[in-house]
Amino acid sequence: MLRGLGDLESVVMDRMWSYRRPASVRDVLEDLRQERQIAYTTVMTVMDNLHKKGLLRREQVSRAYLYEATASKEAYTAELMRSTLANGGNRAATLVHFLERLTPEEAEALEAALQVYPPRGRSS
Amino acid sequence: MIIAAVLALYALFGVVALPRLLARGGWADRAPRLGIAMWHAACASVLTSAVLAVLVAAIPASVVGHGLADLFEACAALLSDATAVSPAGVLIALSSAGLVAGRLAYCAAAVLLKARRERREHSAMLGLLGRHDSTLGAVVLDHTEPIAYCLPGEGRTVITTGALRSLPPEEVAAVLAHEQAHLHGRHHLVVAVGEILCRAFPRVPLFQRARSEIARLIELQADDVAARRHARIHIASALVRLATGRVPAFSLGMGGENALTRVRRMLGPEIPLNRHERLTTVAAVGLLIAGPVALALTPGVSAFLTHHCHDLLAL
Repeated sequence: MLRGLGDLESVVMDRMWSYRRPASVRDVLEDLRQERQIAYTTVMTVMDNLHKKGLLRREQVSRAYLYEATASKEAYTAELMRSTLANGGNRAATLVHFLERLTPEEAEALEAALQVYPPRGRSS
Repeated sequence: MIIAAVLALYALFGVVALPRLLARGGWADRAPRLGIAMWHAACASVLTSAVLAVLVAAIPASVVGHGLADLFEACAALLSDATAVSPAGVLIALSSAGLVAGRLAYCAAAVLLKARRERREHSAMLGLLGRHDSTLGAVVLDHTEPIAYCLPGEGRTVITTGALRSLPPEEVAAVLAHEQAHLHGRHHLVVAVGEILCRAFPRVPLFQRARSEIARLIELQADDVAARRHARIHIASALVRLATGRVPAFSLGMGGENALTRVRRMLGPEIPLNRHERLTTVAAVGLLIAGPVALALTPGVSAFLTHHCHDLLAL
């Protein structure tokens, strides 16, 4: 099964995030080879790309690079959500909803509105 | 000259007074699609009258009266040899009209391209961080906050695990239907109009109000589309859960008024505009768009009639 480089990036990043420690191209390759045929150079290229994109950082240990995720998956997700919500101003890009800040009174008013809704209508 | 003054005055009046006039009565909440059309028409109306005011002031009615062919001829002569034919006024008029058009085109490109770039980057990150759930037809992100949104252009609907945890399945379906409505309706282009106008001509009250109203009405519109297939109570309940489940530090200060409007709207039955209201509104949209053009053409057309039809009139 052939997959695009974008998909491979996602697979490699998932592995890197799951290790929670630095890994070499060889480590990732061996891990991936348990499931699929893949060339060393392919994995190297993908990891090099991820490094260029700033998702992986690396340091040279003897002759090989040791790679590590720059930040945890959770941190990336939180950052993506933060920028998405902050982007509420540029609504042409992403349509985000429910981003209103509610005061406790408003939240209560919302809950109350739901409570008074006649139960017979709930099934409609 | 009177026509030009009327157009200019109308443009000024529209910029200040139209926002208040259009927001009156709350009818737009009952027909969001028409409401959006009205705001678009109001913006177009003011813009065209401003441009036409300058054009009408500079181009004499007799030129138009001699027929469109003559008008084009005059324009061509003007372009090829500006000093020979026409007063500087025409040149100023045409270039100011060109400036407005150019500024709009430039800002449209800037807003749309920036949005597209952001969406692509966002989509690439989603590819790394999320997983596509084919039963939901959405990308699921591991995140505790309940959030749902869509990425237009990329055709992606996104929902967080926080939202999946806090909403029962039927409400998840309702929320996703709302997002799908945005995608299918190409709502990002509809709201882009407001963004573009505000960017091209900042601090114009009408455009600013139009931007926020269009952004608000588009949500109501998506709620309505979702309500065709899903129970209104599910949409309302999902709205409450998504709006109240947010960590306060994370949210933007926009006020919860909109959320409350949407919830109340979904809890009540749909009250569409009646025939009379609908006709009036459609007529108003038409008038906003066609009015300035018709007014600007009046002297030209009457000059045209007197020029070509005097035989008829003589009879």
